[in-house]
Amino acid sequence: MRNVLAIAGREVRTYFTSPLAYVVIGVFLLLSGYIFWASLVRFSELCLRFASNPYFSSQLNVNDMVVRPLFGTMGIIFLLLLPVVTMRLLAEERRAGTAELLFTSPVTSAQVVLGKYFGAACLLLVMIGVTLTYPILISNSGAAPDMKPTFVGYLGVLLMGLALLAIGLFFSSLTDNQVVAAVSAFGAFLMLWVIDWMSSSATVTLAALMNSLSLGLWEKAGLGTGGPTLGDLLGSLSIIGHLNDFRKGLLDAQHVIFYVSVIFMALFVTQRVLESRRWR
Amino acid sequence: MLEVSDISKIYGTRTVVDRVSFSVPKGQILGFLGPNGAGKTTTMRIITGYVPPTSGTAKVAGFDVQEQPLEVKRRIGYLPEHPPLYPEMLVRPYLEFTARIRGVPRRQLKARTDRALERCGLQAVSGRLIGVLSKGYQQRVGLAQAILHEPDLLILDEPTVGLDPTQIREIRSLIKSFAGEHTVILSTHILAEVTMTCHRVMIINEGRIAAEDTLEALAARGGGGRVLVRFARPADGIAAALKALPGIASVETQDAQDGGLVVSQRPGQDAREEIAALAVGRGWGLLEMRPITRSLEEIFIDIIRGETVGGAAPEVQPSAAPAAPGNGGGAA
Repeated sequence: MRNVLAIAGREVRTYFTSPLAYVVIGVFLLLSGYIFWASLVRFSELCLRFASNPYFSSQLNVNDMVVRPLFGTMGIIFLLLLPVVTMRLLAEERRAGTAELLFTSPVTSAQVVLGKYFGAACLLLVMIGVTLTYPILISNSGAAPDMKPTFVGYLGVLLMGLALLAIGLFFSSLTDNQVVAAVSAFGAFLMLWVIDWMSSSATVTLAALMNSLSLGLWEKAGLGTGGPTLGDLLGSLSIIGHLNDFRKGLLDAQHVIFYVSVIFMALFVTQRVLESRRWR
Repeated sequence: MLEVSDISKIYGTRTVVDRVSFSVPKGQILGFLGPNGAGKTTTMRIITGYVPPTSGTAKVAGFDVQEQPLEVKRRIGYLPEHPPLYPEMLVRPYLEFTARIRGVPRRQLKARTDRALERCGLQAVSGRLIGVLSKGYQQRVGLAQAILHEPDLLILDEPTVGLDPTQIREIRSLIKSFAGEHTVILSTHILAEVTMTCHRVMIINEGRIAAEDTLEALAARGGGGRVLVRFARPADGIAAALKALPGIASVETQDAQDGGLVVSQRPGQDAREEIAALAVGRGWGLLEMRPITRSLEEIFIDIIRGETVGGAAPEVQPSAAPAAPGNGGGAA
């Protein structure tokens, strides 16, 4: 644990002594702040317009109209920004030769992976933490959001960010070129975003797919025909799709489990990649 | 302390290290000498566990590098060819970070860092950014990083590259000061470095050990017990008179130098005293007498060129052949 903290601490120090952290956080705050402001303005405008109509004004809800779009925006910005955060983590160590220090020290590759990951997670926490000011800013006004669903939304955004960081770290372990690491992480993030766009049209069931792949053996073995479609499978892989319930303020275990397993898988594979140096 | 047996490293079809075996006892400084690309760095990386060997084993203090890497890594300090520095860090925090991951206990962190700063002469720059330091200072920070946890085995890959002569001298005396309590392996392609710091030399070429010996024995290979004598009044028959002395194998006149004679002694015998006594007795007027040793440079180049297998081959050198003293492996 001590090694993990030492590596994570050095990582955080590096983020905040270079302009990188400030640029990333600044861009993130600018974009999410703008979206927050824009939806707040729209919300208050609607409130004014329908003030005389009790039915419509009862339909207006600050959580739905301001907080929810904010989390959606954050998710999209993460897709674009987090590759920049993760690209240097391992790639730079290799390029600069400092990997030689890290891997000849009595630390395990798992400790290196966790240290790097926690370091990046700290930056993410700061990014998200600062935006907590948005709901707090309006909490004393007439448009005070309901805090419980807001925090659930924050939890969702945090989990998604952590999952993206783990995937990005994995791509950083594959190369010694930061740009390659960033571009491939970015590609993976986008793929995980758009993967459910065809979920409604891919109506072939998984059972049918397996049946044709196994030349009819699937059916003969009586493994069933119905069940989920390919679209269902793709839909449940969408990294942003799992954020939707969080944004609504619903805390559902399946989404938490999805993010946690993505994090675990990505970190595990990263550790294997580092470990593979020992037999390559 | 360190035992390397039969290590090979093959990248694709290229054999970088070819069945290298050697061992270093505690407290010794071993110099790894070889031209660039001879496999020095790869061998060192294998010992540190950074690169796995294709075959063979390396053991540090009895722990196998592949089987118990953490135990080995706890005991080594390593300065790679390019010092592993984070340019965006300050010197002191950098050293404290390396101390932490090298497992220095929290209570000793500050003391060890201070000591390393002091030993490497870095106190003045401890608050500076590593990236803006000169190459010499960066090299010293790299060295400080390697010694700060007081490792049993110190592995230095070309530690004096890029330093100015004063710094080189400082670093060398620093390395020398580690002998005794620490075991040191250092690689270099500069011969003078080996002569000044190492107890033992291993010449490595094209991935193989071309020669391994103590410095004296290696130097003696070049001498072969030959002595140059010069007299003020050489009389006739001087050669025959000298040859009659016990312990002298042959005498030849050196036409290049006036009045100079090259006396080859029998292996293991030193006839210089007798030569001097004879010269005084006969009144030849002894002007000069010195052993003929070829420089280490020449020996090195011979060994690299000779390129024959094993440590025995370089002894069969045309000039030294008649009277090469028994300086094989046993001399170490």
